[in-house]
Amino acid sequence: MSINNYEKIPGESAEELYENAPCGYLSFVGDGTVVKINKTLLSWLNYEKEEVLFVKKIQSILSIGGRIFFETHFFPLIRMQGFVKEINFDLVRKDKSPLPVLLNVNEVAGPEGNQKVYRATIFDITDRKKYEKELMAARKKAEGAASAKAEFLATISHEIRTPLNAVIGIANLIQKTPLNDQQKEYARILKLSSDGLLGLVNDILDFSKIEKGKIKLEEKSFVLKDVVHMVVSTLAVKAGEKNIDLQLDMDSNLPATLLGDPLKLNQILTNLIGNAIKFTREGFVKLVISLLEKEGSKALLQFRVIDTGIGIPEDKLEAIFEEFSQASYEINLGYGGTGLGLTISQKLLQLHGSHMEVASESGKGSEFSFSISYKISGEKPKAEVEENPAIYRRKLESAKVLVVDDTPVNITIILEYLKEWNVACKSAGNGVEALELVSGNEFDLILMDLQMPEMNGYEATEAIRRLDLTKQPAIIALSASARGDISEKLRISGFNDYVPKPFDPADLYKVLISHIGNIENEAKQDFSVALSQEEPESKEGDRLAELIAEPFDLSYYVKVTKKKEASLEEILFKTIKAFEEYKDQFSAAIDEKDTGKLAGLVHKSKMTIHYIQAKKLDKVVQEARELVDNEENDAELIEEKLKELQTEFQVVIEGLKSVRVNDLISKSN
Amino acid sequence: MSAIKRNNVRVSGKGNQPIMFAHGYGCDQNMWRFIYPAFEDNYKIVLFDHVGAGNSDETAYSTAKYNSLDGYVSDILEICTELGLQDVIFVGHSVSAIMGVLAAGREPERFQNLILIGPSPRYINGDGYIGGFNPEDIEGLMEALDSNYLGWSANMAPVIMGNPDRPELGEELTNSFCRTNPEIAKQFARVTFLSDNRKDLAVVETPSLILQCSEDVIAPREVGEYVCRNLKNSTFYLMKATGHCPNLSAPEETIQAIEDYLAGVLL
Repeated sequence: MSINNYEKIPGESAEELYENAPCGYLSFVGDGTVVKINKTLLSWLNYEKEEVLFVKKIQSILSIGGRIFFETHFFPLIRMQGFVKEINFDLVRKDKSPLPVLLNVNEVAGPEGNQKVYRATIFDITDRKKYEKELMAARKKAEGAASAKAEFLATISHEIRTPLNAVIGIANLIQKTPLNDQQKEYARILKLSSDGLLGLVNDILDFSKIEKGKIKLEEKSFVLKDVVHMVVSTLAVKAGEKNIDLQLDMDSNLPATLLGDPLKLNQILTNLIGNAIKFTREGFVKLVISLLEKEGSKALLQFRVIDTGIGIPEDKLEAIFEEFSQASYEINLGYGGTGLGLTISQKLLQLHGSHMEVASESGKGSEFSFSISYKISGEKPKAEVEENPAIYRRKLESAKVLVVDDTPVNITIILEYLKEWNVACKSAGNGVEALELVSGNEFDLILMDLQMPEMNGYEATEAIRRLDLTKQPAIIALSASARGDISEKLRISGFNDYVPKPFDPADLYKVLISHIGNIENEAKQDFSVALSQEEPESKEGDRLAELIAEPFDLSYYVKVTKKKEASLEEILFKTIKAFEEYKDQFSAAIDEKDTGKLAGLVHKSKMTIHYIQAKKLDKVVQEARELVDNEENDAELIEEKLKELQTEFQVVIEGLKSVRVNDLISKSN
Repeated sequence: MSAIKRNNVRVSGKGNQPIMFAHGYGCDQNMWRFIYPAFEDNYKIVLFDHVGAGNSDETAYSTAKYNSLDGYVSDILEICTELGLQDVIFVGHSVSAIMGVLAAGREPERFQNLILIGPSPRYINGDGYIGGFNPEDIEGLMEALDSNYLGWSANMAPVIMGNPDRPELGEELTNSFCRTNPEIAKQFARVTFLSDNRKDLAVVETPSLILQCSEDVIAPREVGEYVCRNLKNSTFYLMKATGHCPNLSAPEETIQAIEDYLAGVLL
């Protein structure tokens, strides 16, 4: 035996190995002509050598799709980098049946100098392709099932919303009728349960929207404090009922105004804090907001919700984020809930490019945290000054409202509320009736249901907008399906706003006052009348103010908010914001000597200035207006007055900012 | 979002005369690698990636906008506006050649010349027109695309590392060449191969050069000749190069043809 003997075993020359390899070998030149091909490949394709060699081009044994792919992707790539690995193609046999293969190609120098030869190694992947196809089919089936489930849930929830509307409305109304103690208790449970049911339905709808990818992030300017305050003040009530301390700790260097989606942030915070309160029996729930980093116009904010509640066992920390799951069956029994809140929050955070983290100890408490990077907004959002309710009550009383809905019980409910607020109202059962009534009567506002027979809400609104009326009413949609911003469809039809069904009377009230209040009817609304009717109450405030010579007096606010800390905080914040806005707007109007703009501002700000008894500010505003109205006055005088005005605004603003609500409340006791 | 960022626009060259290169279906701006350096001394070179290809911003893709070639044409015009380009020499390959025609139809003052490599206003044969493909062929292609049969995406992520035979390729090609999002590639294929822009040829009067390859399966000679007949002020040039991408398979011939045309030699 010697090595040499084994070198030359018959059947193992390089040539023979090439021809009989377990893979196919193929070589072609620049224009695709095949210059070499091995036996294996020929047998796979069912061709004789003479049929292929120097006769066929590689393109001709590719499927059409492959041919196009070859010309547009494959060949350029080889030309660029000299090789291509593992590309899946379908070769075409002599009988036109497909052969799925994996192609590896190398560019090598040809026998004649300049020319390149492309050497391909080909693997038969028929089996692999088959398995791939089966896997894909199975996956599609599973995805289809999941999406069918979400679709089903959404449909059911939608259907439930309509009768739910009636239940909640009636539950609210019953509580306002005379009841004995037992009935009061029943009514309370009824309201609680129906509100809970509404929460569940809304959660399900939200969840299915997210699953379908229908939720998008808004990008608008918002004031962080406002959003946080709204959440905290809403949940403070629940916390108070359980005697849990709800705390807020906001970093002092947080940017004031951000660009982002305030609704989603509100939703996530409400979910977390609501959960925290729910699962805490005693102690506190704290929201901590800190600025992690700030770079240029971007800020990374961290939100943490910490509680001293029952905690979550370690093995359940992941499961709580799954849909419909809660930490345990007992939790569900003991605490209720849908098990969707955290899932939704997590998915919303994912939209923000963030995620939720949780740390917890059973029996001790939990901490949920997340960070979001927001752009810092240069703009200030539109000022929404919530003026004194009494003034708006008066506006409502002089307003005429039309309610259009094809469900009699819905009309009854709405009319009940409207009657309670002393609003003059009429009703119609469908779009056609509504149109008749609108043509013959003047209305300030119409509440319009969307789904109605004969003529639906959209059609009716479009028709009303086409009428030639002395005054077009504000039209508000009553919608069971819209959540979030008013949809494009409503806007196009001519709606001004919408109230989601089922609605809270507070929602309805808010929408009414914001749209009836916007009607510029200077002749009708006589503010001086309103002012004089408020005088008796504020005379005390007057005296007090004179004694202390404060730039403003908040006793009216204290009274109106019924000494509730959270409400006072909120109204103070809104006032401060409004004044900051006014200061800029007044400055601009005076600079431009725009009498019209100035008059409008004076009118707008009069009420708030009056309610906080900012007498000096009031005086300076009047003086500034007189100066500008009288066109002869010289620029220096106006400049001076403007400075005085800005200073006084600043004094008021700083003063308001430094108010400690607790002190204010205790002082007034 | 600025078009420059969205389309990964790169400007180079020492000249003032802008020459813009638009890649075709299947690739990105790197396919001009062997061509544009020849023009750097005398021209301002503008290279870009269509949305969904190369290093363009994929988030800018929307099925609504790119449902037809018009979306891509708008991008091209936007790039010209943002860069303040006038009298552009537009070099378009394959489907981008037709985009050039459409762009010149929308803003004729913007373009000085169109250089069309392998153009085709319609790929499907029909009513006397030869596009090169039968309807069943294109259907077969669509089916293949839909079932992701060809595995076009991940495997095309190129591996260009330390290729000793091609030291000139360089790092920047890594992971950017021919990297098209498969979903976008599918829709782009649909938009391209099911399009019919024959009537858009007649309105364009910009002087054009049609570079026709011999034996181009995608844009056969009959199509190139059809384009020449229907595009006013066009010059037809038959190349020796074969296949569909002469800018890659025969760069010298391609450069020569363009230079000769611009110098007035080929008219």
